[in-house]
Amino acid sequence: MSDKTLTQPGGIDYRRRQRLARLAQTLVILAGAIVLTIYVLAPVTWLVSSSFQTEAEIVSVPPHWIPDEPTLQNFEAIFSATEEEEITYETRSGQDPASGGFIPSTAKNLLPAMWNSFLVATLVVILNLLVGVPAAYALAKIRFWGRDASVYFILITRVIPDIALVVPFFLVIKNLGMLDTIGSLVLTYLAVTVPFSVFILVQYFEGLPDELDKAARVDGCSRFQALVRVFLPLSLPSLVAVVLFTFLTSWNEFLLALMFTQTEASQTLPIVLAAFTSDFTISFSFINAAGVLAIVPPVIVAVIFERYIVSGLTAGAVKG
Amino acid sequence: MRRLFGYEERSAALFLAPVMAVLMGVAVFPILYSLYLSFFRIKLTRPNRTPFVWFDNYTDLFTNDLFWVSVARTVTFSVVSVSAIAVIALLVALLLNQDFRGRRILSTILLVPWAIPYVANALMWKWIYDSGYGALNGILYQMDFIDKYMIWLGDQEKTIFLIANAFVWKEVPLATILLLVSLKSIPSDLYQAARVDGASVWQRFVHVTLPAMKPGFMLVMIYETMMAIRHFDLFFILTEGGPGDASHVLSWHIYVETFRNLSFGSGAAMSYVLALVTFALSYTFIRTLGRKV
Repeated sequence: MSDKTLTQPGGIDYRRRQRLARLAQTLVILAGAIVLTIYVLAPVTWLVSSSFQTEAEIVSVPPHWIPDEPTLQNFEAIFSATEEEEITYETRSGQDPASGGFIPSTAKNLLPAMWNSFLVATLVVILNLLVGVPAAYALAKIRFWGRDASVYFILITRVIPDIALVVPFFLVIKNLGMLDTIGSLVLTYLAVTVPFSVFILVQYFEGLPDELDKAARVDGCSRFQALVRVFLPLSLPSLVAVVLFTFLTSWNEFLLALMFTQTEASQTLPIVLAAFTSDFTISFSFINAAGVLAIVPPVIVAVIFERYIVSGLTAGAVKG
Repeated sequence: MRRLFGYEERSAALFLAPVMAVLMGVAVFPILYSLYLSFFRIKLTRPNRTPFVWFDNYTDLFTNDLFWVSVARTVTFSVVSVSAIAVIALLVALLLNQDFRGRRILSTILLVPWAIPYVANALMWKWIYDSGYGALNGILYQMDFIDKYMIWLGDQEKTIFLIANAFVWKEVPLATILLLVSLKSIPSDLYQAARVDGASVWQRFVHVTLPAMKPGFMLVMIYETMMAIRHFDLFFILTEGGPGDASHVLSWHIYVETFRNLSFGSGAAMSYVLALVTFALSYTFIRTLGRKV
């Protein structure tokens, strides 16, 4: 049958209609994809672009969207900041405070703060795995009296807002003499990470067949051996998800760190960054470079492990 | 008794002991301690006198105008942010549910705001909104929407919406991922059947897609409301509650009361109110999730 028979005058040209519909769909998808990309990436691109600008360029009106002469001076300032560079009143006023150009004395805190963040996050991850894995195994594979109660208990601890914990935490930590230590952060971050980790793991363990457990037990494994030898090797994806979430949550946490840290002994990256933003003498390009530095590690992690993150998010949040 | 304390119970108790100990220590004890503290008048400036005042901290709270202002600001912020998140996330989820080339790249890009630390997000938006050299002024000026640079965050009317925008940008990815799950769980024969019955694209959306997404939507709404009413970081960095009390939300109020006025008793009382509100809200959340575990 040729096209002609279908396009009778007055009749409906179905094929043409279908082609139009498909074209419209493609256009809508294309437009949506472009809008979404711009929405997500434009703010970040602007931040990155301004971190490569010189002080003179960053204050241009209207802004230069792309730097005329990209420079690494801001990043160099962060990585080469040392104790010797004392900022005195003279050296500071030597530059025009209105237009900035001022690298703060706290610049040297950035790298130690990154190290603190890394250390805290790593410890929190390890503790999460140590307490989370056995708990999740028990909740997923052992039929015991009190299981539902335990699940609800962990769920309830998950919805306690962090700000409600700040006041009691502060007094306890102060009385323990743990203010301004990394330990205080590790301890309190457990409250915000453990329940979520347990649910990611429970979800995954439940997907593994019960027969595995039974087979291992028949072969003479104890519960503990069944967990370590049979389940752990199989649950690698969920372990990766737990590591990622816990690490990123600790790396990004601000409120508790703001309360408990005071000096570079324990200050984490978000704290040092926040201090920059409230200092009006610091040059914008420097603050932006510091911001880029804080963004890069978690974004790289997210992009590399996208698959694990998406499955973890859906497991931990949706199917709980 | 054998059923209560059989082998299963004993091994489960052993496996659960560490997590229970940790959660007792870092969650249950603090929240109970907080309740206890809220019955005392504790000023760190006056450490040796901490009288027991029954419910005074609570009654003071409810007669404090600034508290009610902060409640109103929190409600505005949460309603605006959560509805924006729901709408944008729905559109993005519908887009990413289509099959097209570049879909995977797009969903990876979408994770960027999710991964960025809140402080860095705040820093970024502070710079975008900057009154002197910011991108928002720059772009609006170049497009002739404004004829002079504006002090965006200094505008009492706009501040809370601008902060909400920064919050929405960061939260949309998570909401989208949650919505995508319920979109993906719709069996395709439902669409086939609707198509056979002659339903248009719009009708299929309204009668098949939307009802199937209801649980996912509920989850997103409750979760994001919980996140919004407790949110602190953006307010701390962008406005410090200002200008005036335009962004003086509850979490900021708690922070000021506790760590600037150093009255821990009333700070504890306030955090308790916030915790109870969150609990009430999350009751549905817990029920939804608890059923599925």
